[in-house]
Parts: sequence; C-alpha cells; structure tokens
Amino acid sequence: MIVTELKPLDEILSLISPYSTVLIAGCDGCTQPPRSIKEAENLSRLLELGGRHRDKEFSFKVTTIPKQCDSHLVATTLREQLQGIEAVLSLGCGAGVQTIVRAFPDLIVLPAQNTLFIGMEDREGALLEEKCAACGDCLLGLTGGICPLTSCAKGLLNGPCGGCSNGKCEVDAEKDCAWYLIIKRLEKQGKLDTLEEIHPPRNFQVVMRPGRIIERPLEEVKQ
Amino acid sequence: MNQQAAEQATAIKLNEDYCASCSLCASLCPFEAIKRDPETRKMVLEIEKCQVCGICYSACPAKAIDIFYYDLISLTRYLENARREYDSDTLVVVCKGSSPDFDTAGNLFGVSKFIPLSVPCVGRLSEDIFLKAITSLGIKKIYVLACDENYCRFEKGSALNGRRVTALNLLLERLGFGEDVIVLKRNSAKVKADRDKCIRCGNCVFYCPYEAVKLDGTEPASFDLELCQGCGICVAMCPAMALELEGWEREYISALILELCSQMQQPKVLVFRCQWSTFPLLDDDLEPNVRFIDLPCAGRVDTFHVLQAFAQGVDGVMVVACPAEDCKLKEGSKEAYWGILQLKGKLDQIGLGERLHFCSIAPRYPQSFTQELRQFKEKLEITAEGG
Repeated sequence: MIVTELKPLDEILSLISPYSTVLIAGCDGCTQPPRSIKEAENLSRLLELGGRHRDKEFSFKVTTIPKQCDSHLVATTLREQLQGIEAVLSLGCGAGVQTIVRAFPDLIVLPAQNTLFIGMEDREGALLEEKCAACGDCLLGLTGGICPLTSCAKGLLNGPCGGCSNGKCEVDAEKDCAWYLIIKRLEKQGKLDTLEEIHPPRNFQVVMRPGRIIERPLEEVKQ
Repeated sequence: MNQQAAEQATAIKLNEDYCASCSLCASLCPFEAIKRDPETRKMVLEIEKCQVCGICYSACPAKAIDIFYYDLISLTRYLENARREYDSDTLVVVCKGSSPDFDTAGNLFGVSKFIPLSVPCVGRLSEDIFLKAITSLGIKKIYVLACDENYCRFEKGSALNGRRVTALNLLLERLGFGEDVIVLKRNSAKVKADRDKCIRCGNCVFYCPYEAVKLDGTEPASFDLELCQGCGICVAMCPAMALELEGWEREYISALILELCSQMQQPKVLVFRCQWSTFPLLDDDLEPNVRFIDLPCAGRVDTFHVLQAFAQGVDGVMVVACPAEDCKLKEGSKEAYWGILQLKGKLDQIGLGERLHFCSIAPRYPQSFTQELRQFKEKLEITAEGG
C-alpha cells in the first residue's frame, strides 16, 4: 500500500485559506487505515474549528472515492459533486491528487496528506514499514523475498557490509541487518549459492522519471 | 494512588457487626472480591477487585452490605416520586446494557405510559424492591428488560434476576396479586453492518476483541452475532462508517449531542462516559453546564462525535473510560485511550487540545468522577481566561 500521513493542520489551513467552499475527497483505496468518509468528516470538523480560530469560515462538503488513482472512478464519483466547489482537498496519495487534477483540469486540487512510501502494515506492532522502493528491477526472487534496497540502510546488492553485528545494523542497533536476514533465509531454503552471483550496480535507467507504461499502443486502442 | 484511593469512601461497604458469615455474597460475587478469611472466618471485601455490580448487596440476607448506588432507600424514594410524576402504575426496569433509552423497551413490552427505571445490571435489584413496589407503592405491573445471560457485563447479574423474577411471580400469585406480575424479556444490542458501505479494509476484523468478524476474499465483512458482545469498537474504528451499534446509532448520538448542547449553559462540558465507569444517582441534579452521554463501552466513543460536539460549540469534552483492567469488554478502554490521544494531538495543532480530557474511573470510589470533572472544569476556566 501507499503510506501517507496527514499534513499539519496549520499547513492545510493555509492551503485552503483562499477558498471558502471546499470538497474533501477521501480515498477507500490502499492506505491503512483507509482515509475514507469518516476521515473526511473528521477532517472537515477539525478544519472548521481551526478556521474559526483564524476567523475564517469554511463550508465543507465531504465525499469518498473507491480508488482515487483511477481516473474513471474519480470522474464518475466527483462529477455530480462539484457544483459550487472552489477547491478539492484530497485525502489520497500524490497519485490520487493528480488523478483528480487530470480528470478536472480547471479545478483547484490540494493535498491533505504527505505521501511517504510503499509499505506494509504490521497491525500488532501498530507499525507501517517501507517495503518497496519501486526500483523497477525487482531482486526479491534472488534475495529470499527480502528487499535489500529498502531494508538495508545502504541499499547494498551483494551481501552485508562490515557493520553487521549480531544480526543488527550499525546505523541503528534496533534494526535488523537486511543481509543477515537474507542469508539466514537462503540458508534455510538451501539456496546460498545464489549469492555467488555478483550483481552489477543498479541500472537506474530501468525506471525513467516519470515512470510510464503503455499497456497498448495508442493506435491499437483507437482501432 | 492506592493510598489516596484507600482514604476515599468506597461504593460498597461490609458491615462486620451485621455479617453472619454465611458467605452467600462470596458464592455470588462474579469477581471474587469477597472471600472468607480462613483464619478469622469473617467475610472480607477486596475493594480493588469489586466492580460494583451490587449482586452481593441484593443477596445479603443480613443486610450487612451497604451500597452507594441504587440502594433500597434511594430506589424506594425514586419510585414514590416517580409514581406521582409519571402518573402510572406500570414500571419498566431496564439494564443499561440492554437498552440505552426507554423507547426500545416500551416498544418491546407494548407499553407507552410507564415509570422508567434504568439500572446498571438488573442483578442488583433485590426481591425487596420488587415486593415493595407491588405491595406498598401501588405498582401493578413490572416489566424487566435484562441482557441476554451470555451478554451480562457482570456475568451472573442477568441470570440471578431471572431466577428472582420466577420466584417472585410464584409468590405474588399466591399472595393474590395475579399471574405474571413481573414480565421479563432479554435483549442485547449488537453490531449492524451495511454490506454496501463496507470497503473491506479489515479494521473491524483486527480490532474486534471477540473474533466475531470475518473478512474472506472479496466479500464484505461478515459478523457472527452470537460472538458479538456489543462493545462498539468496530463501529468507532470503521473508516467507511458502514457499521452501527443497535440502540447507539450514530444519528441517535448526533441528535443527542444537538439536544444536550441546546440545554447547556456556558462553559459547556459534554461528558462521553462508559456506562460502567461511573453510575449516575437516581436523584442526581444536573449541573447547568454539564451533560452526559452514556455509552455501552468507552470503545464506542467516536472521534466523529467528539468533533461534532466541539463544532456545536461545546467548550470541553471529557471522555470517561474504565481502567483498562476493569474494562467489561476487554479492549474498549484501551482503544478509547489511543483514539482520544490521537485526536488530542490533532486538536493541539489548532489550539484546542486542552479542551479534550480523557480519564479512567471505576465506580468503586464514587467521588473520583466528581473530582475529575471539577478539575477539568477549573482547567477549562483557566484556558478560557488565558485565551
């Protein structure tokens, strides 16, 4: 999932301060817990109260979109709700915000969240951890399903550095050394020999920014 | 804390002078708070274990136990006054756990004009008060709405009440008061899910302390109502607002907030409290600026409603939970604490954090709630002057 966190309310208030009628759009999609209709309702009240503190009256409407990064869902959900709306405040990730911008080019769309990383949630530990760097060259098949790019502080590709002590990382003694885990896992799987293979430095050309995938050539789509 | 607590008056007292050491209280106490001392052979009350269910008080044949809440004297006084006030000879008794208001109970029994009496667990009502009501207070019919036995927050309260009602009906019939003078029904408020609103996030599955929810594949979350204990944690945690708790529906609480706000004088203080954390007295006079919303568990305290109250112009919101170890619903107090802590962090950012107060209170020290409320009000006044 995409992990996001709410911006400081002061910052959101500054962002929306030029506008009076604001639609807060939640996203039921991948973030955990989803910033859905309740988050939108609660944020509207917080901003209303924060606005009053600044002698500014806002009028909020709230809605939620099943997936804010889907242009069709965004267009169909929001179309009916934009009457009189000066700005949309999105509870989606950065992609969600831009999907709304794409669907409604004349609309002011503002982010309520900071988008942090692609991660996994460990509910018991109330923890969200980065698990994927979207590197475009997935190594998980060779590393026992543990990503050295996100889990190793140095993003090393060919085994641990000298800073691994008792399975912990020299950068943070609380953190496991990713390569220690990888080796333990490969050992268990009887696949330690995969480590014999030397990985060349990462090919940063694999993912050009902005990333783009053309699922079908446009000419074909048009036919 | 313990030393300070020990100096406070307790809600239950054991009077050694009257105690015949029959140990009936010990056999009935669901929390093992009363035991016979093996050496002295006397009954000993361990107040820290006591949950103030009142079962011992209602059962003691020697009247050796005093209780602060709903004792025979205050119940009698209430019924005498209510008999005139409501001009009715029908009494409807509900356990707070089975129904938050009397509309549900009235509908269940098919009565509209009655004397309402709401108690935290019907197990605390002794035979005496039923007999007194019928034989000397002019009440002709009593309807009791208890919780289902496996839903009773005090474990044995509902079952005990059931046995009493059976015995009392036999006795009253023989005494010539007619058949089935006391009518008992059972009810328990459980979760209601709107499958269309479910976004399959799994929050309810994770937070339910009773493993009553399942989320399989792409189907919406499904609830096993046999397992549901009605704590409302899932309702408070559902990001899609797809869940409701029977009797404490979101709209009902919202409407109640509006109504209470209109009654209050400034500075307005709204208290959301777990109905097992502190018990209102029958003759409690409400302070003009304080109102209460009793919830089935602190777990049902909803950030949505807290924010609604602030938006309605309430100056301070107090959330009262049971101490975590006393929570009748496993995780309710804990979840309420985290939820309120997070919300407080957000309110801090807009300068309102001081106006939200969370506290844990047990009914065993009746003064602790009043003290906490007074301190919060004083703090609010200082904040108001400062701002």
